[in-house]
This record gives sequence, structure tokens and C-alpha cells, in this order.
Amino acid sequence: MSSLRPRVIPCLQVAGGELLKTRRFKDPVYLGDPINAVKIFNDLDCDELIVVDIRATLEKRGPDYSLIEEFASEAFMPLAYGGGIDSIEQVRRILSIGIEKVVISTAAADGKLISAAAAIFGSQSVVVSVDVRKTLLGRREVWTKSGTRSTGIEPRVYAAHMESCGAGELFVQSIDLEGARTGYDLALMKEITGTVKIPVIACGGAGSIDDIRQLLRTSAVSAAAAGTIFVMHGKHRAPLISYPRPDEIASLVDISKGST
Amino acid sequence: MAEVSIVDYGIGNTGSICNMFRKLRIDAEVVSSPPALRDAKRLILPGIGAFDACMNALDSSGLRESVLEFASTHRPVLGICVGMQMLTLDSEEGHRAGLGLIRAHTRRFPDAAGVRIPHMGWNTIKWAITGHPLAHGLLNDCRFYFVHSFRVICESSANTLAACAYGGDFSAAIVSGNIAGVQFHPEKSHRFGLQLLRNFGNS
Repeated sequence: MSSLRPRVIPCLQVAGGELLKTRRFKDPVYLGDPINAVKIFNDLDCDELIVVDIRATLEKRGPDYSLIEEFASEAFMPLAYGGGIDSIEQVRRILSIGIEKVVISTAAADGKLISAAAAIFGSQSVVVSVDVRKTLLGRREVWTKSGTRSTGIEPRVYAAHMESCGAGELFVQSIDLEGARTGYDLALMKEITGTVKIPVIACGGAGSIDDIRQLLRTSAVSAAAAGTIFVMHGKHRAPLISYPRPDEIASLVDISKGST
Repeated sequence: MAEVSIVDYGIGNTGSICNMFRKLRIDAEVVSSPPALRDAKRLILPGIGAFDACMNALDSSGLRESVLEFASTHRPVLGICVGMQMLTLDSEEGHRAGLGLIRAHTRRFPDAAGVRIPHMGWNTIKWAITGHPLAHGLLNDCRFYFVHSFRVICESSANTLAACAYGGDFSAAIVSGNIAGVQFHPEKSHRFGLQLLRNFGNS
């Protein structure tokens, strides 16, 4: 086999030691204890986890190392951490705790931190978050600072630049669809995977396993990430941790193979 | 005294390996001085990133000779990821020679359609040697987490402990007497990785 099964990745949002879930990067709902969520995902043998501190950059504070240490001691799967990372020293400290990858967004924009981190720690440790929002005219642009500032740059141009700087993976999020449960931005994912060779993790919009199936069927993403469907249940958005069984994940892949 | 000693030469995910031994309740320690290596029972050589960077870091840490000395005493050694590649003779990724503890070479993946590099994600392995202590309790097709851009090819198939297929077969685990290496990350591979590290701790 020369292609790997795409990964299915829960994406957890945290702030102030709490597990939260936003919609369109706003209106956070409190869900519970993030350490407990990590423990449950570990017991469910999940492929990988992404944990993002959604307020670190806006509140101008660095990573919460004691919380990261607790995550690392409970997660025996690859774990990526993002939020407020803007220096090599922070990257070094996070990786030394036992976190596999860092996710960099705001501080990635000029490419310097990405090149430096890739040179020291290897590209495989460096994930760049590409947060995309549509303008009123329908043009897609990359936003930073937790979705509060536009770079004015088109996603595929930004993605190619990050790849050339040494990013090992791109975490592509549609801000407009975040928490919407209406499906991924398939056109965006197709465009990005057609532009870069590095693995792409798609996020934003998943409302069901079928949405993940649709994503894997129509684009060459290496991973499908989702928040809401793995941490909430039902139309009242009640907190509930869940993850597909191994046979469900296998079925996602078989169908995606047959139809492309 | 610790059952497992993890070599800290400045590069490598010692934190997550320690976390897993803590979960297993096997006493593990991080070692960074020649005397500590001399007294170790079992040694883990981690490594991530570039091959030359790891070899250079091992040299400048002053631990290279201690690792080679330890390896010659028949106590168990386990290289993980680039730590495994460091056990081989050389790597196409860099110019430095490896430690040469196993007759194998670290090579590029073939440039073929559909083979995205790095090989990153979960893949299954097949044991090429049955009954090895590291394989205890682990069936064929158990899955491990891989992240690497270069792969190991052994000169003799007798040194391939387990194989993995990605753009052709490569050695997912290698062995020569007391020296072993795994290309995947057992410390990131759930219960499969726990079992492998438990096996090493009991070896």
C-alpha cells in the first residue's frame, strides 16, 4: 500500500483550563475538563489530537505549560498544540514536554519562525494553521489573530509560501463553517491539496461522519479534523465525547478509494 | 535503579517516552552523562529531525563512546525513529556515518506517484522474525504511528524484525543481537506502543 489511511482528528479548544467550543471562532460554550476529554480520546484509540488555546494570542500570553504537561502525560497518541506560540524557545519547551507537533498561526505569517523551527526540530513538528474566511464578495482570505485580522492573502498563495518555508503540515480551517455542522469547504480543501505536497488537515464544518466521508472522497486531504461532532451531541449541543470505531473509520476510507 | 535509561543528547522526545513508562509503572530515567550510561540496564536512543543534526548532537554531548561501549556489553538497546536510523551504517539524508551497530542503510523513499513524504500516520507492520521478545503480545497487522522521510533497508533480511509497506517494503523494526530499533513511535502508538515498551522493559 502506498497511500496511508487518512487520519481522523478531534480538535479541542481550550482557554483558562476549560474545554470550550466556539462557532465561527465566537460564542464559546463551556464543555468541561480538557484533561478528562484527552483521557477519553486516548482510551478510544483516536488517531491524533489537536488542542488549541483559543485565547492565548488575543490575551497576549504564552502557552500554559502546566496544562500542556497534563495533556502529554495522558495522551499516548500524537498530540499537536497551538495557541500563543511565537518563539523558538516556546516550541522547544513544548516539544520537550512530549508534545509531537506545534500549531502556529499568527506568528507564522512572515514565515521566519516556521523556517527556524523546521530547521531545528524538523518539518514534521511544525504545523501551520491556515484560517480562512470568505469576504462579502466570496473571495477567500487567510486570517490570523484568532480570526480577527485579515492578511488579505489568498489561501493557496499562503499555503504555498508556508510549504516553501518548511511547514510539515497545514491545518486548514474555514472560520465561516466552524461549528456550523453543514459540511467542510470542499472547494477550499481541493484547492489547497492541489497546491501543496505536504499533508493537509481539513477542519471546520463537519456535522456528521458522512461529511468526513464526503471530504475524503472529494479531496486529497491527509486528515479530517472536527470539533463539534466529537465533543457535542444533538441539536442542543450537549457535551459528549465520542469517536468513530475502527470499523467505521475503515469504512470511510474504503468508500473514498472506490469513488475517486 | 531505573529499569530503562533514555539517552538525552539534546534531540528527541524524551518527555513522551518517560510518560509512557510512567503509565506502565516501569522505572525509567533520562541520562546525559557517561557514568549514568555505564550503569544503565537498558538503553533507549531517541531521535527526531535530521540525521546529521542527531549525529552531531550525539557527538557534542560526549555520549557517543558511552553508547557504543554500552552496546558492546550485550545489554538491550532500542533506537526509536531517527534513533533507529543512527544504528545503521549511513543515511542518504546526510553526510555523517551512523553508529554502524546494525548492517543496514538509511535511504530515501522511492519517488513514486501517491507516495507522499513524510510517511506520516498510522500503518500496520508484519513481523519478519517470530518469537522475538519485543513482539510478545503483538500480532501481525497491529498499527503504529510513523513520521519519517527516510527508511531503513537491511543488508541481510535476517536483521529485519518487522516490515512495513509504503512505496515498497522497508524495515519498520531491525535487530542484531542485543541491538534493536523501531522506525515508528511506540510512545505515540496507544496500547500497541505500550506493549512494545513493556516488552523492552521486561527484556
